[in-house]
Amino acid sequence: MFIEFFFTLKRLGIPVTPTAFLKLQQALSMGLIRTIDDFYTAARAILVKSERWFDLYDQVFAHHFEGAELQEPSERELEEIARAMLEEWLKSPEELARALGMDEEELAGMSPEELIDYFLERLKDQTEAHHGGNRWIGTRGTSPVGHSGYHPGGMRVGGVSRNKSAVKVAMDRRYRDYSQEGPLTQAQIGEALKRLRNMVPAGPMDQINVDKTIYETMRNAGEIEIVFDRSLKDRLKVILAIDNGGWSMDPYIEVVQTLFNYARAQFKDLRTFFFHNTIYDVLWEDPPRRSKPFRVSEMPRLDPETRVVIVGDASMAPYELMATDGSIHYEERSGRPSYERLQLIAETFPHAVWLNPKMPDEWRYTRTIQIIQEIFPMFELTLDGLEAAVTHMMSRN
Amino acid sequence: MPSKPALREGTAFTGSTKYVLDSELAQIVNVSMALEMPLLLKGEPGTGKTMLAHAIAEALGMQLIVLNVKSSMKLVESLYQYDTLTRLNDSRFGDSTRDVSNIEDYIKMGKIGQAFAADERVVLLIDEIDKADTDFQDDMLDVLDQMEFDIIEIDKRIRARNRPVIVITSNAKKDLSDPFLGRCNFHHIAFPDEEMMGRIVRVHFPDVAQDLLDSAVDAFYRLREIRGVEKKPATRELINWVRALRADPDFKPKKLQKGEIPYLGVLFKKSPDYAVAQNSVRRFRI
Repeated sequence: MFIEFFFTLKRLGIPVTPTAFLKLQQALSMGLIRTIDDFYTAARAILVKSERWFDLYDQVFAHHFEGAELQEPSERELEEIARAMLEEWLKSPEELARALGMDEEELAGMSPEELIDYFLERLKDQTEAHHGGNRWIGTRGTSPVGHSGYHPGGMRVGGVSRNKSAVKVAMDRRYRDYSQEGPLTQAQIGEALKRLRNMVPAGPMDQINVDKTIYETMRNAGEIEIVFDRSLKDRLKVILAIDNGGWSMDPYIEVVQTLFNYARAQFKDLRTFFFHNTIYDVLWEDPPRRSKPFRVSEMPRLDPETRVVIVGDASMAPYELMATDGSIHYEERSGRPSYERLQLIAETFPHAVWLNPKMPDEWRYTRTIQIIQEIFPMFELTLDGLEAAVTHMMSRN
Repeated sequence: MPSKPALREGTAFTGSTKYVLDSELAQIVNVSMALEMPLLLKGEPGTGKTMLAHAIAEALGMQLIVLNVKSSMKLVESLYQYDTLTRLNDSRFGDSTRDVSNIEDYIKMGKIGQAFAADERVVLLIDEIDKADTDFQDDMLDVLDQMEFDIIEIDKRIRARNRPVIVITSNAKKDLSDPFLGRCNFHHIAFPDEEMMGRIVRVHFPDVAQDLLDSAVDAFYRLREIRGVEKKPATRELINWVRALRADPDFKPKKLQKGEIPYLGVLFKKSPDYAVAQNSVRRFRI
């Protein structure tokens, strides 16, 4: 039952599994689902496992069940449908036969009366076995006979409904907001950053080391000797360098701010630097990039285990990256191209990544992105990208 | 609807005294119970994910066992613990009633273990599963799938006597792993709309004046619109806020409509958020 519905969901990219589909069948056979409203909620809970897909589900549902309230059609309606099928049959036998899975040859020998009886039989089978399944009765488009053609309002009679039918509810598309696949907006970043950890023993010795305790107790001839350890604390050093200059980063300010806020809450030892477009001789500790410079040549003195996260769109004129006096700020020109500075940072900190708020499909159109990609592993600033970046930073230990 | 803890058709779930249940969620809970599948709930903080499990337990008259997941948690801790230290202590001093040579005396059941060993069907709430790492999640689902686990120390298999009603909550925006999702039913609780919120507040304060309720809920949704706030006020904050407003003898609901918002601190708990909210309240009189 509802196989078509299942495959429509699947075709449109909702990750539905056959196992889940079987579960749904189980629920149907247990009599848990009595109305189309029940079906709407139950099928969603069982088949669709993320609110990201709820909107798509609503659309498929509305499309698929439009005008097809699950209702047992009456005898008279069945007859009307059967007649409609006969007409359809007369127009194009092979198509109807294919749609119903019947043998054309077999039907060809029947008289119209016999055919109507035959169709009625089939329809009754269908409704009995399917409790009003919509497989080929009443849906528009997917079947040769439907309410749109011969039976206006077709199966749409009655049915238990609350103030709104499930189809209407589905048409509301309440979950549109959740379906966005785009970059991070709010509150998602913390989750991804949580994985970025470096546990080291710190703090008071307040955790019992059972193995050592037992060992020491044995050595002590059974006299209990309890051994304490320090508990593990996160002591990861993180440097966050943010491109906060220029109009090209403006659209991403909010995303970057969120990242920054979460990072600040998450890591004890976090240093934040700012730069414009790319890094030259100095990074700035103050957002306006005026008063607190930090010389890049000092960086090798920092702990090489520090995780460095650079956030920027990496989009600029190529000379800004390659030329010896590439900086658009005069005072930053020292005769070394930014390219070399970035390489220095990458060599100093093996755990460095570049996060780009631009989506990867745009990367190949910008030359400087490609160059920087050769220096730093680059990830897009989305939840998935962030997670990949974190995995990358934690793996090369 | 604040219905009584009624039992429809024996074990169907229809809501409880302190929980406002929409019919959609009730249907999902009932289907999950019948299919014996865990129900995974996601949604913004304050949409009542945890409360749901409490409500199910109350409505069905079952005991509730809560497993609060922590990031450092190992699966075995939630199943059982072998209390080696007490055993060591007992063997040294020998003044307890436990039998030192019997390891089973020193096995303590964890939350999942308790749910399995319970004589009656219980509700098992696994709260904030997203805090644990993926391995924990997958391994746990194995245990919940099989409804049994082994205690290695005594080579004993614990089988669930009654399959518990399992509710799992997650705050994470990101999805859990595929095998995990495959074994759960899923529901996302959207933030309640104004009408629903009015009913929720009324469940908590049955005698609240209608004008206070309306203007408070109205102001609450306006305050949630303020941009640049890190943690938006949720249901819990609203309920506390209404409590504060009711307790204040000088408070008049008209004030809210005029844009005077007292006790902002109840709604906005982070100091930068509070500053932002105060600012926009003063400037825009929202």
